[in-house]
Amino acid sequence: MTAWLEINDLRAKAGDKTILNGLSLSIDAGEVHVIMGPNGSGKSTLSNVLCGNPHYEVTGGSVTFKGEDLLKLNVEERARLGVFLAFQSPVEIPGVSMATFMKYALNARRKAAGEKELDAVGFMKRIKVRAQALNVSDEMLKRPVNVGFSGGEKKRLETFQMAMLEPDFCILDEMDSGMDVDAVKVAGNGVKIMRSPERSFLVISHNIKFIREQIMPDKVHVLANGRVVADGGVELLDEVDKNGFAGFVKEAVA
Amino acid sequence: METLVKRERLTVAENENAVFIERELADRLEIDVKAGARVKHYRLHGGADNALTVRIGENAAYELVTLHLGNGDLSMSFDLAGEGANCRSDVVYILSGDEKSVIASDVRHNADKTVSAQLVKGAVGGRGHAAFQGGILIPYDKKEIDGAQQHRALLLSRDATVEAVPRLEIYADDVKCAHGSAIGTLNQDQLYYMRTRGIDETDARALLTTAFLNEVLDGIEDESVRAEFERLADEGLKK
Repeated sequence: MTAWLEINDLRAKAGDKTILNGLSLSIDAGEVHVIMGPNGSGKSTLSNVLCGNPHYEVTGGSVTFKGEDLLKLNVEERARLGVFLAFQSPVEIPGVSMATFMKYALNARRKAAGEKELDAVGFMKRIKVRAQALNVSDEMLKRPVNVGFSGGEKKRLETFQMAMLEPDFCILDEMDSGMDVDAVKVAGNGVKIMRSPERSFLVISHNIKFIREQIMPDKVHVLANGRVVADGGVELLDEVDKNGFAGFVKEAVA
Repeated sequence: METLVKRERLTVAENENAVFIERELADRLEIDVKAGARVKHYRLHGGADNALTVRIGENAAYELVTLHLGNGDLSMSFDLAGEGANCRSDVVYILSGDEKSVIASDVRHNADKTVSAQLVKGAVGGRGHAAFQGGILIPYDKKEIDGAQQHRALLLSRDATVEAVPRLEIYADDVKCAHGSAIGTLNQDQLYYMRTRGIDETDARALLTTAFLNEVLDGIEDESVRAEFERLADEGLKK
């Protein structure tokens, strides 16, 4: 039986450069997985390929999500199927407030599902509860998306969007980078609050302390040269902590 | 507040405040803003050619927002005639299909301590073609002049074209003058980000385009006029 999310021998390139080189990985519903690996190993490319970023070209392999061929769907269809990416460096959108942005995103999902649009009261309720839980002020919601926010605030807003859209599969691309201790806790909290038997996480991070204390993953994978070179549990964290990625990278080359 | 229909000449008396909303334009309109007067002027333009001439007197302030939709050439001329005169003349233009338009503006700083600012933003789709000709003249003997002109255009299709011809004639030294023009397409990273949240590409494009144009339209103080212009701009984009 295929897993909930099954990535099989995935190959992708950006321009002429091959980045994913036969990557296989499967995640079951409710699981939290962590991906580690040296810079350039393909971590961010994997998250973007799963979301359908047109900048990358898939040259082989398959991805099945909830029984559907994910690679056949366009970016927005994947999002509506439940794929969510918390970006490492979210883009700024001048002139569009976070509140407006979320209204569009929620209504796009409802429209695609044949439901009617959220009314103003329903929308405000949904936004208020989540903003409070994640320490997002009214002022942050009124300001244009990601414009003029600190790195930590942007990550907090990514977590907030994840809470608003309630995706089934959340990819967090280096959520903990560029954040202070408190902000890292907020990000970790977002994952804790949202963890459920129907929702899976793929967390990309270098921060072993963050992974251990905030994420508490079910499985850990090490990526090198565009492939998964080691699968395991939290014990893999100890190995990376002690010896770094050198041993894994050698394996990938050999 | 007054609604103008096909009137040709207008004078705003000294120290008077006036708001003009033009929905149907005369072929030619001349406005004389006398000393100390304050004028806000909102125009809907499109379909036919139109020429506007404004003279701005001492310490008077004239503020214009034009929404141009479709065919028709628009010519605007601003004479900052009195010391301390202030002119703001913003434009939003939206073209689609085979529509063509030339938008020409001339700002003449004919007195000391005059200030002008102009923000022109356009969105052109289909096989539309827009030309923006933006002139600023500052004669050699004028002092403490501040002139700013920015033009930004979005090409919404591969066949759309926009050309910008700035004409800056600055003969004086005591001048602050900033100008720039940029013509480009929608930002791919922004589109991708919006789509990862489930927003259709078409809707994401429309939302980004509207946000781009609203930088001008948000400057309309009168709430009902702003709502009307934003609605018409949205309709113009959906054509």
